[in-house]
Amino acid sequence: MSVVELSPDALKSAVAELAGTGPTESRQLALQQFLQRGFPTFHDEDWKYTDLTNVIDISERWLAHAPDAAIEDVDETAIREIQSSIDASWLVFSNGRLNQDLSDAFGDDAIVVAPINDDDELVVEDPLADLSVALMLDGISIRLDESKRVEKPIGLLFADRATLAPQVSQARINIRLDAGSAARVIEYHASSGDADHYSNVHIDVDIGDGANLDYVRLQNRDRGHCQTQRLNVRLNEVSKIRHLGVDLGGALARNDLKIDIAGAGASAEFNGLYVGADKQHIDNHTRVDHRIGPAKSTQEYRGIMSGRSRCVWNGKAIVHAGADGSDAEQANHNLLLSEHSEINAKPELEIYADEVKCCHGTTVGQLDEAALFYLRTRGLDPRDAKRVLTRAFTTRVIEKSPIPELRELLSAQVEQRLSEIGSGD
Amino acid sequence: MLEISNLKARTGDTDILHGLSLSVNEGEVHAIMGPNGSGKSTLAQVVAGNDAYEVTDGTVLFKGNNLLDLEPEERAREGIFLGFQYPVEIPGVNNAYLLKAAVNARRAHQGLEEIDAFEFLKLAREKMAMLGMDQKFLNRGVNEGFSGGEKKRNEILQMAMLEPSLAILDETDSGLDIDALKAVAEGVNALRHPERAVILVTHYQRMLDYVEPDFVHVLSEGQIVRSGDKSLALELEEKGYEWVREAASA
Repeated sequence: MSVVELSPDALKSAVAELAGTGPTESRQLALQQFLQRGFPTFHDEDWKYTDLTNVIDISERWLAHAPDAAIEDVDETAIREIQSSIDASWLVFSNGRLNQDLSDAFGDDAIVVAPINDDDELVVEDPLADLSVALMLDGISIRLDESKRVEKPIGLLFADRATLAPQVSQARINIRLDAGSAARVIEYHASSGDADHYSNVHIDVDIGDGANLDYVRLQNRDRGHCQTQRLNVRLNEVSKIRHLGVDLGGALARNDLKIDIAGAGASAEFNGLYVGADKQHIDNHTRVDHRIGPAKSTQEYRGIMSGRSRCVWNGKAIVHAGADGSDAEQANHNLLLSEHSEINAKPELEIYADEVKCCHGTTVGQLDEAALFYLRTRGLDPRDAKRVLTRAFTTRVIEKSPIPELRELLSAQVEQRLSEIGSGD
Repeated sequence: MLEISNLKARTGDTDILHGLSLSVNEGEVHAIMGPNGSGKSTLAQVVAGNDAYEVTDGTVLFKGNNLLDLEPEERAREGIFLGFQYPVEIPGVNNAYLLKAAVNARRAHQGLEEIDAFEFLKLAREKMAMLGMDQKFLNRGVNEGFSGGEKKRNEILQMAMLEPSLAILDETDSGLDIDALKAVAEGVNALRHPERAVILVTHYQRMLDYVEPDFVHVLSEGQIVRSGDKSLALELEEKGYEWVREAASA
């Protein structure tokens, strides 16, 4: 298998086109780093199951046709529909470009929204993060001042479109919550159009001492489009994050959630749900680093696979030396609705401290025959019985949404997706 | 109403029912007793349509129609209710949701409209009060974290809501304390009706103190070896199942 590479010259000239916009130094540094390392390949342990050949191919064709986000009209109807279904202060990105007209988060004086600049920490150890910085059009930094507590969620809407030619969108967002502040974030991915699309989003979050973040990510892209997404979270003393990630769309979706516990008394709860059908490929990699204790992390991911879909869940928890009093729990449950679907589930615990409590559990199975029969003896036909059990499986995660008012919308979208894929037989 | 003749059934390679015949008419309550492994639960599961059991011979007619041709859900809609010995826990499925879905499946089959939400709640509350069940059970997952007694009450609640023509209660009395047993018995007695029938599958005579059967049958090695009135249950209690086995082989 040969490794497809992006043409360095095309990439360099695309970055050169952006000269004078955004953070110049970081952009150059990120470009240099990316040129050295390139896209991750199956040689990288973390990318064993996810092949980016198609993503590289889309990027190559996009670079060849003179990348210009503006050649696509913004799908305003779709955006307004999403905005009307969720009450939030919005930042709307279309093909990597911030749409000022449709964004209203600037009006909220509790949240400081500014273009990202070289003073923000932008260059991290990750090639896809480099790519986002090298090519981003409108990087954004969001800040909540000390003790500000904002009830209304900040909505990050990535609504992309590719109808005429292959499109690639890059986004980079830094969020900083100062000590004692509290925020809620909704990260929503949607896309449309028959042409190829690849979206690469990198979000860095720093949660200050005693600060609190509730976060929901919903990915419901066009079934032909690709996405890589990374959320890096740093937790300081007695800070807290609760996260839910839901993946319903995309031909290929890869999410990395990295949580760094850097302060004692911090806690992280992160859960996920993925529904794969046809030939969808959905990969969730999570990693939590317990650097100090006491601290607690719990995660539960659930997946449903039908058709020839393939999903990956890789949950890594590392308890570093000295992080006594760490408590790490992870669980992953999968429902395979067809013979040809596949799950690669891998829990990884690395423990270098003594006083720790760690546990993990992974299950892969079909619908419970005893429960199906029970429901049928109550008059439900097999199709309804399967639907009820499948919904029960997903409900267990959706009800953990840290933003409760989203539960209904999440349920409806999951239900819609499940009805599209049928029972899988 | 139910005509079982020469029924033979197996699961895997094990033959369990060896030519069982039983006739149940409207208005009757039949108790089926027998030692462990005699085929009591298999009979209940076969009538309900569990495809883990294969019928190798015999016929089962329900209201004159061949029951064995019907899927489990069709049998339920025709009015057969099975109260499970071990009710299944279904986390994430709301108890009220299942009750309503079950009632509406039956109603749709009868050509009736879906039950009105208000009417449903009123009915459910009424039945729960009769069974001494807290209303919070409506909003919990089906049997999720229920104690043994709560699960059995929940089965009886479903039965009470569905008002089946034929209720088969598989060891609904086992593992119940006296209060739960009385509540369950009350639920069964409330269902008694000239147009309905009940089959109580039980290991002990205890339940029959509260629900008086018209007939008692003793099952041994997959066949009914003795039938009689309620005095047979008392005799069994006194003499033990060994007595029946001896009588059967004699």
